[in-house]
Amino acid sequence: MNHDIPVPALGPQGEVMAHAVDACVHCGFCLPACPTYALLGDEMDSPRGRIVLMKEVLEGALPLADAAPHLDRCLGCQACVTACPSGVPYGELITSFRGWSEAQRERSPLDRAKRAGILKILPAPKVFSVAARVGQYAKPLAPLLPTALRAPLDLLPERVPAMQPQPPVTLARGRRRGRVAFLAGCAQQALTPNFNAATLRVLARNGIEVVLPEGQGCCGAAALHTGAREEALRLVRQNLAAFDPEQYDAILSNAAGCGAGLKEYPVVLHGLPDEEQARAFAAKVQDISEFLAGLLHAGELEPFLPTSRPLSVAYHDACHLAHAQGVRAAPRELLRAIPGVTVVEVPEGDLCCGSAGTYNLEQPELANELGVRKARNILSTTPDLIASGNIGCHTQIGSHTRRQGSRVPVLHTVEVLDLAYRGEL
Amino acid sequence: MSFSPRKTALTPGSGAPKPRSKGTPDNPLAAELTRSLGPRKVLSNPSERRNYRYDAIQFGATPLAVVLPENTADVVTAVRAARAAGVPVVGRGAASGLSGGAAPALPGLVLSFTRMTRLEVFPQRREARAQAGVVTLSVTEAARPHGLIYPPDPASFRTSTIGGNLGENAGGPLCFKYGVTGDYVKGLQFVDADGDVYELTRDAYDLAGLLIGSEGTLGLITEATLRLTPPPKYTRTLLASFAEVGECAEAVSRAIATGAVPAKLEFMDAACTNAVEDYLALGLPRDAGAVLLVDTDGDDLETVEEERALVEAACREAGGTVRRAATDAEAAALWQARRSVSPALGRIRPQRMNEDIVVPRSALPEVVREIRALGDASGLPVVQFGHIGDGNLHPNILFDPRRESSEAVHDLAHRIALVAIRHGGVLSGEHGIGTMKRPFMREAVDPVTLAALWDVKRALDPAGRLNPGKILPDEDVEAHAHP
Repeated sequence: MNHDIPVPALGPQGEVMAHAVDACVHCGFCLPACPTYALLGDEMDSPRGRIVLMKEVLEGALPLADAAPHLDRCLGCQACVTACPSGVPYGELITSFRGWSEAQRERSPLDRAKRAGILKILPAPKVFSVAARVGQYAKPLAPLLPTALRAPLDLLPERVPAMQPQPPVTLARGRRRGRVAFLAGCAQQALTPNFNAATLRVLARNGIEVVLPEGQGCCGAAALHTGAREEALRLVRQNLAAFDPEQYDAILSNAAGCGAGLKEYPVVLHGLPDEEQARAFAAKVQDISEFLAGLLHAGELEPFLPTSRPLSVAYHDACHLAHAQGVRAAPRELLRAIPGVTVVEVPEGDLCCGSAGTYNLEQPELANELGVRKARNILSTTPDLIASGNIGCHTQIGSHTRRQGSRVPVLHTVEVLDLAYRGEL
Repeated sequence: MSFSPRKTALTPGSGAPKPRSKGTPDNPLAAELTRSLGPRKVLSNPSERRNYRYDAIQFGATPLAVVLPENTADVVTAVRAARAAGVPVVGRGAASGLSGGAAPALPGLVLSFTRMTRLEVFPQRREARAQAGVVTLSVTEAARPHGLIYPPDPASFRTSTIGGNLGENAGGPLCFKYGVTGDYVKGLQFVDADGDVYELTRDAYDLAGLLIGSEGTLGLITEATLRLTPPPKYTRTLLASFAEVGECAEAVSRAIATGAVPAKLEFMDAACTNAVEDYLALGLPRDAGAVLLVDTDGDDLETVEEERALVEAACREAGGTVRRAATDAEAAALWQARRSVSPALGRIRPQRMNEDIVVPRSALPEVVREIRALGDASGLPVVQFGHIGDGNLHPNILFDPRRESSEAVHDLAHRIALVAIRHGGVLSGEHGIGTMKRPFMREAVDPVTLAALWDVKRALDPAGRLNPGKILPDEDVEAHAHP
């Protein structure tokens, strides 16, 4: 659409934003894909509406404070990107906009403290683990607390597992077919250590040596998507220094949000001296399911043991896998490769579960409504197992299915594969 | 039976924050509306109001207030408040329209129907009763369990609302065999400029027919009774490619001359095919000058196959090559491709002038070739696609307002419209006249007929408060819309 965004004044990120605004023809095809439009039914809480709001703030036609509530309600799920025939890079727009506008936001001291807390605790596994343990004991008090404090407690599992040590190098079993670098992730190390353990076992079994490069840190997505651009830049550069793409066949992540974050590095560094380096890095990044599906296609994936009984697996598309990375087929193909598994599709499968990074903490009411709806949709397929490729979805879906009285296990896709290799499905 | 559509806005008891204006209404109209309807149904902040001034083509004037009615009584209250304030009223569905119809030409009241989503299906009567804000596709979704469908299928059917479809008398690929929206309306309820409510059937004077396609200039449609039909048992799909668009049009004329009645006959030229291919990567023939997409359907498989064979033969005779869709999934993908054409054109230029002409089928080859030639001579990218079986073509002029002159675009649009008129065609098949084609109306409609249209408008809306600046060329009220 037409705009008067002062691009030169905004710098390289201004180019990113202006390009996205340019590309939007305001056709409205994104509306039915948007979770907040589905819940609220108004134009300002749709992708098309938000693009107009951002455009007008950038043009100086609308005060940021007027647009902010609607922009804050965006989950960043990027379902609109999948739905958009015009190719608007909405994800790049909202991320860049949040980075640009954060400095101008007027936030209460409490709000600032909460955001700083999240950004400090989330990327630090050890701190997070301690916080989760404290939270676990505070859980019974949850009903007495205000929503903002209740939301994180509600998300915690009943029992926070012990942290598991992660070897810096996991050797390949049998003939070595490849060598990859692995991003260990943050919160999931504390909440679901088995994600990484299962990943290392599955890769090793397939002859892949896995390196956890020293000095790696948080992928930076949480900081980036909440507008903490400086912090995000620091983390991005830390990882660029830690991972040398030339040394590995691939750089793997098993968290959809982190994988999407890593693939976003060239956009974050657009116009900066290390943009090229980010490009070389991002070209090597793959989700664990993409990498394993590559082995499957090449006929090199070790066969799975059959399940003990026919199993119906409801596969949930994490937004950051399906919409942000366009990875839909790979996890399904891998699950179907297990003899005895049937993959079932979830009604409204494209609709976000409501977890979306820190959304649960910042927009607890909307997140809750989406979580309830997602759990109901998944359980309507009466699955034996629920599989997904993202820690956020995992926590959200587990918490809501349990609340709806279900005991169906919620697993990471790679955990299902690991169990299949061990003959425990 | 009652059906709750999936996209229910604001379900009762929803814990989610409701859209509401926190600021003080900055004008008397918003204040009055907030008093009578409550803050939940009225939007008055600038950020809210400015998001209700566009459709899929045009940006118009910022409304003074936006009302999200939940029932007909709310519409009546809002219309009366606007009358008392002496400001215009524009109805709006999902704003996926392509002629500027829902973009206000003047500041006033916008009524957004997205919360009026009640939908009931009456299988015995093969009817549905839908409020204006019901999303088009959900009518078929609700009817299907009863062995019924709602055939009108505009490209935007996942987004667009029944109210908007009625306002524009929307068509779609299926209209070649099954007809347009208006053919499926048994009755409707509307609110006039004074806030009076009418229940129309199609008996006596077909006033419902008058309201359908009137783009909200004669009344605000609040509910409709829609006709449902059983879906055909069998459907077969084929894709034919041609070296140039004229051949494609010839194939269509030949196919229809053989007596075949395909369900859908759609075409897109090379630029459209490539824009869609960039989006969906389906393996469409990128180097073909034009492709034709055809469905034959019916309850008798032999006839369906026979019709497909007739169309195939016609395509080959016109110089085309034919590919059959092997599976339902392949057919569905091809139709998704066709439905995505219009917005996918944004990949070529950020803006477009969108034509919606209808010409006699006998003139199709000549018309598409003339338009192709006009485009080539202009230096502006002109693409063509549309419901070619009906002679309903959508030539689009793509442009970048920062690089290409709007006079040149407008001039070319005018010349394309004149091609249609010269061949005995009309200015709009389904998108409406809106503000886009309003300037060409004097050439398309003779003065006596235009005067009659004006008489009708004055009879139903004497003060000119309903969607002013649309359809009828008017010396007094000039549209302040800007692209």
